[in-house]
Amino acid sequence: MLVTFLLLTLIAVFGHFEDFLGTTLLSRPLVLGPLVGLVLGDVTQGVMIGATLELIFMGNIKVGAAIPPDIITGGVLGTAFAIMSHKGPAIALALAVPISILAEMVISGLFVFRAVFNKKFNLYAEDGNYKGIQRLHILSGLLKPVLMGIIIFVALELGSTAIKSFLDMMPAWVQSGLQVAGNMLPALGFALLMNLMFNKRVAPYFFLGFMLAAFLKLPIIAIGGLGVIIALIVTQDAPKPAASTDDDFDFDDAPAETAPTEPQHKLSKGTLRNLFFRSLTLEANFNFETWQNTGFVFTIIPVLKKLYHTKEAMAAALKRHLQLFNTSPYGSTLIVGITAAMEEQNSQDKDFDEESISSVKLGLMGPLAGVFDSLFWGTFKVIAAGVGTSLAIKGNILGPLLFLLIFNVPHLLLRYNLTFIGYNAGTKFLQNLSKSNLMDKLTSGAAILGLMVVGAMPATLMNIKTPLNIGSSSSAVGVQAILDQIVPAMIPLGLTFLVYYFVKKQVKTTWLLLGLLVLGFAGSIIHLFV
Amino acid sequence: MIKLTRIDDRLVHGQVAMTWTPSIGADCLIVANDKVAKDDFMKMTLGLAKPASAKLLIKSLADTVTFLNDPRSQPLKILILVNSVQDAAALAAQVSEIQSVNFGGIRTKEGTRSIAKAIAVTEDDIVTIKELLAKNIELEVRQVPTDKKIMIDTLI
Repeated sequence: MLVTFLLLTLIAVFGHFEDFLGTTLLSRPLVLGPLVGLVLGDVTQGVMIGATLELIFMGNIKVGAAIPPDIITGGVLGTAFAIMSHKGPAIALALAVPISILAEMVISGLFVFRAVFNKKFNLYAEDGNYKGIQRLHILSGLLKPVLMGIIIFVALELGSTAIKSFLDMMPAWVQSGLQVAGNMLPALGFALLMNLMFNKRVAPYFFLGFMLAAFLKLPIIAIGGLGVIIALIVTQDAPKPAASTDDDFDFDDAPAETAPTEPQHKLSKGTLRNLFFRSLTLEANFNFETWQNTGFVFTIIPVLKKLYHTKEAMAAALKRHLQLFNTSPYGSTLIVGITAAMEEQNSQDKDFDEESISSVKLGLMGPLAGVFDSLFWGTFKVIAAGVGTSLAIKGNILGPLLFLLIFNVPHLLLRYNLTFIGYNAGTKFLQNLSKSNLMDKLTSGAAILGLMVVGAMPATLMNIKTPLNIGSSSSAVGVQAILDQIVPAMIPLGLTFLVYYFVKKQVKTTWLLLGLLVLGFAGSIIHLFV
Repeated sequence: MIKLTRIDDRLVHGQVAMTWTPSIGADCLIVANDKVAKDDFMKMTLGLAKPASAKLLIKSLADTVTFLNDPRSQPLKILILVNSVQDAAALAAQVSEIQSVNFGGIRTKEGTRSIAKAIAVTEDDIVTIKELLAKNIELEVRQVPTDKKIMIDTLI
């Protein structure tokens, strides 16, 4: 058993290494589930449980400094206990939800604690000691995988017998109740996603996605493809929005042209490529005081090494970049590239205002986080998870693979190229972007696509039916059969909207979770749902 | 109608675009900041971050007050963003509709102390906060709408 536990711990540690590996969604249950299954000798079960957990935690995302439940710890332990006890996905979720909430508290504590190292980072910076900064960034970054690894190992060592005997004692009605509740919980994930993008203007696309899935039974990957086409058609040559009538009151904030200065580009392609690779560790040493600052310094060090050859210049640059920083990792390299160009200019031009580097960096980090978080969490992640879980829920190992590919191929391509765009075109690129309506097209196109896929989800990924019959036993007519003739998947859709209504009413996620559990249990006991 | 007044020194970013705007159904974001209103570069970058479902206005504090007190702004569902406690207090003093201020994020700098996860305040800020509290204005800390409201008076 010890070897098994060690391997399971390694999987969780690998999940936490996502912070060093570009926030590439390796931590998601859909990816870690199959690995847990592999260790425990049942890959298919691992794939299916991973998909179930992915659905429930679908709306569980990290924006800014708001930390969601730790699905790595919850997912790995939940999946492992479920497979070991042969009780299926419902048990995995019953364990994963509370564990991930507890684990999140530990991680929040770590993020607070890490700020202690900031003093040390600053001392290194004073000395121009970039090596020290690099080392501490990595060491402090390792704290999270190591700490969580220890916790998981101890939980497995101490808890597995207790949990197994507890699960063995569990009466059958609890298990079937959990089953039904587990089938209902994805409604919460979908509702949280809808909350990100649903509004009256784009509502038709949600229902289009739903109908394609419910009536035509199209797989999600096909709906995603149709979504791309529709988004392209709709955003093509969109007429410019008519100017507002009361101009005196509601003026536009058209950006004025600022004359960009041409810097000398001397940094090599290799250096820039190095920036991209280093940017993958941006989130490794995340802390609640200065957020991703050491990640940024770690990323930009190759540039500083090339440009600044005296201790004083290096120290000044390091200190400059140890300022608080936080942006979406997915678009971070654009800021890194722009910063590299400005540092280069600074090293060549005595009159260059060093303050402007910080102000551009800090000015860009918020807005670009808005752009890239929306694009990746709101669209790519949704499509990737939609396609991935719809395959994985049937035990297909292609599910997790497609999930990673759909998200990371665009992510890494864009992230790589943005380094060069940022360096070569700098803020001019952003000015062009803001002058064209490309950004508008992109955000509205992404919303259409994302929402179509979300619309397809209740019909494809939620399996809630009613066993009710109308009439006496001999001539009974199944209610579900009638519902199916009107609108297939009517119950999942209704449930999703019910949860969405409460999300809109600002009801806390934990309460919604409990509410769905109770509804599932009650529905199962009175045989309203199966 | 003012849906939310938020102090966030990153102004428009992921949390605002992805969670607050849809959650409160805002169709108009106002960045009220004297410095940004004169800074074309900042205006441009904020323009990029704007969520598709809302319009973005970037105004000086004085213009924001005029705008909010104009009855024509009533049909809009407005999310106001300021980057300091002082700016929030200035708006609250002149716009009676502001009865609640959300503390979203104030980064640490020289002379601040952290009172919550993403909130660091100076002694001056605390004086302003006490003045606002004395006027019975609700001051709550939440990074995202689903966070539990923590009242500022329990933190200082």
